[in-house]
Amino acid sequence: MLAPPDPDPAARRSSWRRWALVAGVVAIALIAGIELARYGYRAADEARAAAALLAVELPDPSGRVQRIDQWRGKVLVVNFWATWCVPCREEMPGFIKAQAASGGRGLQFVGIAVDKPEPVQRFASELGLNYPTLIGGLPAMVLSRELGNRLVALPFTIVLDRGGRVVATHLGPVKPADLHAIVDPLLQP
Amino acid sequence: MTPDTRSSSRVPRVAAIALVVGMLLAGAWTVAAPPARGAGLPAAEPKLLAPEEAFRFSARALDAHTLEVRFDIADGYYLYRDKLGFEADAALGTPALPEALRKHDAFFGEVLTYRGRLVVRVPVPSGVAGQSLALKAASQGCADAGVCYPPSLQQVKVALPAAGAGAGPLVEPERKKGWFN
Repeated sequence: MLAPPDPDPAARRSSWRRWALVAGVVAIALIAGIELARYGYRAADEARAAAALLAVELPDPSGRVQRIDQWRGKVLVVNFWATWCVPCREEMPGFIKAQAASGGRGLQFVGIAVDKPEPVQRFASELGLNYPTLIGGLPAMVLSRELGNRLVALPFTIVLDRGGRVVATHLGPVKPADLHAIVDPLLQP
Repeated sequence: MTPDTRSSSRVPRVAAIALVVGMLLAGAWTVAAPPARGAGLPAAEPKLLAPEEAFRFSARALDAHTLEVRFDIADGYYLYRDKLGFEADAALGTPALPEALRKHDAFFGEVLTYRGRLVVRVPVPSGVAGQSLALKAASQGCADAGVCYPPSLQQVKVALPAAGAGAGPLVEPERKKGWFN
């Protein structure tokens, strides 16, 4: 059966326009809402991650408990590593160099070893480690996951600026050039 | 009736309602599927497998006194021989580990690793046909791409077959579980 012809084409046009407008506004609002929520999640995530990291208390290889927030105010590079992780060990000479070169300008590396104290101590003295490393054991992997280490693998590195905000996270060895690009703008001239 | 004037006065209200509806939908969407953690961080991560995919673990019973454990190691990944360990709710004999690849390590000296498919026979001297064993396998490995995974403990339940029944089915651990969940 055929529908009766619309008695008022002008009214039909205007209602079509109204629905097009509604659809357009819904689409724009949808996109804006998603982006806004994403931004909110991200900001909240990063703030939570940074606060969790700064509140961490772990023993150093000699057994003394150290709080990460004692280094607040520095450009903090926290590196999760282990002696059984070859790529971790391979990137550490670069960290030692950067610590020696830029420590005076406010750069501070801190290692968190997913390891036992003895091999850490042995490796640290063999390598001439010039920054502190704490003993996290396996629970440190859980912490690193909360900081964005999605695969829960090593090495994992997180950079905080002087205000304690997360600037970067990285899974896998950090290339010296990438490290400089992230850290240098944050350091004192 | 003057639909045109009425509709034009309604447009702002309709638009406002549409805006609210859109924002609510967006909110509901993002709450239901929040973005991956750290999505906004400048983390250029190498393409990597989750450890349970990189080192796929499975086991079966060959007979009432022998378990066969497998690790299907993805290309570009390797397991450390001395980090392998097996235990169950019955005493296990010494696992028959196949010959491993030798690699020089600057810190540990010579290390032994496995790539590809690793098959290990584990004796169960006290095994009884029909018995169900909870087998735990410890392993630890790395990717050539430059990351290492922490030691992992995976578990499967393996039923020991009756004499003459042949090998039991290969059992894999349940998926979709994080290591620390």
